[in-house]
Amino acid sequence: MTPLVECLVAFLFGSVAGLLMQRSRFCNTAALRDAIMFKTYRNTKAMLVAMMILTVGFTGFMSVGAGHPLQFDVGLNTFAGLFLFGIGMVLAGACTVSTWVKTGEGNIGALWALIFTFVGMFLFSLVWSASWWPPAPQTMTGQINPAALQLGFANAQTLQDKLGIPAVFFGLIQAALLFALYRGILRRERAQHVEHEKHQKEHQKNKSASAAAVHS
Amino acid sequence: MEFFRKTLDPIIALAAIAVLNIFMFLLMGAWTVGGGETMMTGLMAQAVLGDELERIPFWSIVFPPHADYWKIYISLGMLFGAFVGAVASKEFYWRVPRHLSEWVLITIGGLLMGFGIRLAYICNVSTFFGLMPEMNLGGYLAMSGIIAGAWVGSMIYKKILEGDA
Repeated sequence: MTPLVECLVAFLFGSVAGLLMQRSRFCNTAALRDAIMFKTYRNTKAMLVAMMILTVGFTGFMSVGAGHPLQFDVGLNTFAGLFLFGIGMVLAGACTVSTWVKTGEGNIGALWALIFTFVGMFLFSLVWSASWWPPAPQTMTGQINPAALQLGFANAQTLQDKLGIPAVFFGLIQAALLFALYRGILRRERAQHVEHEKHQKEHQKNKSASAAAVHS
Repeated sequence: MEFFRKTLDPIIALAAIAVLNIFMFLLMGAWTVGGGETMMTGLMAQAVLGDELERIPFWSIVFPPHADYWKIYISLGMLFGAFVGAVASKEFYWRVPRHLSEWVLITIGGLLMGFGIRLAYICNVSTFFGLMPEMNLGGYLAMSGIIAGAWVGSMIYKKILEGDA
């Protein structure tokens, strides 16, 4: 594909994704934050469903060597970077995706977060130019590199190559685990619902009891 | 149209996005955000600094700015799609944070997100909808990182909320 076609396909995909997220108010930040802070799982469940579909889809195609998996070495920086990102998204109230979506709805705060995401990236470029860490893609070896705190590269494809078992097999196991998590959330929600009803009934009982006391 | 009147179930929305994302994976690569933003940062820095940008090796070694990088257009597409959705459902209006504390939190949050994305080479979308489904080792590292970060962030947020009350 020529770069122009790629850009057009990407724009089309982005537009549909943006529209669907705007209409569903889906937000990745909320998927994590609400589960941690408020024990509500509206967005968490949607995220898990998407992850299940993608796990089976991606590993299925990877089994036959199709698709374009991400290729870069990972290591301490992967954990540390997303740790900072996790704090940042909760403070900003939006992740990179929802800053774009909310900016599209006219949210100036989201646009502000986006501008400072750019600033943060530029600051990192200055830090990198002094530290030269994490390794640049050209110098990544795919192997464990303790000096650079890198663990190399591994995914469902490398598992298949090493063990001779199709990638989709591992994908199905992961999807089953995600499904178990999803079921666990549903069970928890049902328990919350029962608890809530109980509270409401008690509340009503107390109310009518106190009303009766007033009348007598 | 019904679609623009009622809120869509996020499970349906995300399932649809997942199916489209599989096509993206086959054509170019899974849905990702962060690379496009970095490219935009580079292009803006180039516009402002010109040749001075060469003094920051990151922009010649890791991310030489190109305007024809497809990931930029995913982000612009999301902005466009959300704008269309918001206008069609009469949900577009200017929202401006009211308190200074909100502006401060958003500023710090944005900086941490931008810095974190570049440090990790990925953001949360590639974590959940790219690396994890590809069963990339980095997906599990990133997932642990983002959950730990979201937890710390939530604690900070709670402290601030309690402080305000």
